[in-house]
Amino acid sequence: MQVLEWVRFIVGAGMLLCGLGIFLIEVYGVFHLDYVLNRMHAAAMGDTLGISFSLIGLMIFCGLNFTTLKLALIVIFFWFASPVCSHMLSRLEVTTNENLKEHCVIYDDLEQLEDELKNIKSEKEPLDEASEGRQL
Amino acid sequence: MELQEKLTALQTAYNGIYWFVLFILALMLFACLIRAVKGPRIADRIVAVNMMGTMVMVIIAVMSLLLDESYLVDICLIYAMVSFLAVVVLAKVYMGIYEEKRHEIHDRDDVKETGDGK
Repeated sequence: MQVLEWVRFIVGAGMLLCGLGIFLIEVYGVFHLDYVLNRMHAAAMGDTLGISFSLIGLMIFCGLNFTTLKLALIVIFFWFASPVCSHMLSRLEVTTNENLKEHCVIYDDLEQLEDELKNIKSEKEPLDEASEGRQL
Repeated sequence: MELQEKLTALQTAYNGIYWFVLFILALMLFACLIRAVKGPRIADRIVAVNMMGTMVMVIIAVMSLLLDESYLVDICLIYAMVSFLAVVVLAKVYMGIYEEKRHEIHDRDDVKETGDGK
């Protein structure tokens, strides 16, 4: 039984340290990237993956009781709340930033984007055929 | 006797990992605070505050196991809801402030134009 306890400790600690690593990557990303819409990407990773790893580690430490259920509830709540947060923040950024075009490409209407995509496809297709020919 | 010693070893291991996680999370919390102070735009600051909320939630959950007080997990759950609400409300409020300012500038320009016309 003693060995089983140690196995539980090691698995839980591994999960907890994985969560900690995700948080470290998140902080690094937030300092490394240079625009809000890019930084949001790093921040959202910690909100979903980091907290779920850490809380799953704590659940393994805790065993089967109501505390585990509450921790699971927090994780599930965050899976719903974090995308909504990111959506609200990106809408705030897009509406309030007047020189957004310096940071990313903006299409005035959908047809422009479709034309661009068609151009990219027509450039790619000959390449694909050539590679297929090589394979054959 | 031997069993008791091993049990205490397990307990020290648990305490060690809890304190280690708390220490690292506290350091990263300071990094997020620096980001929130530095962030050039409002959205930057809100993102940093949201990250801090997530880390504080993990700290509270670890503390609930370290101190063996299960009611702290309830506080953690409520903290999650409040931080979600805070982000949504702040985003909405700043959008409203921006719209108001833009309307003010618009109105002032209109008044100036009509004044020049006269």
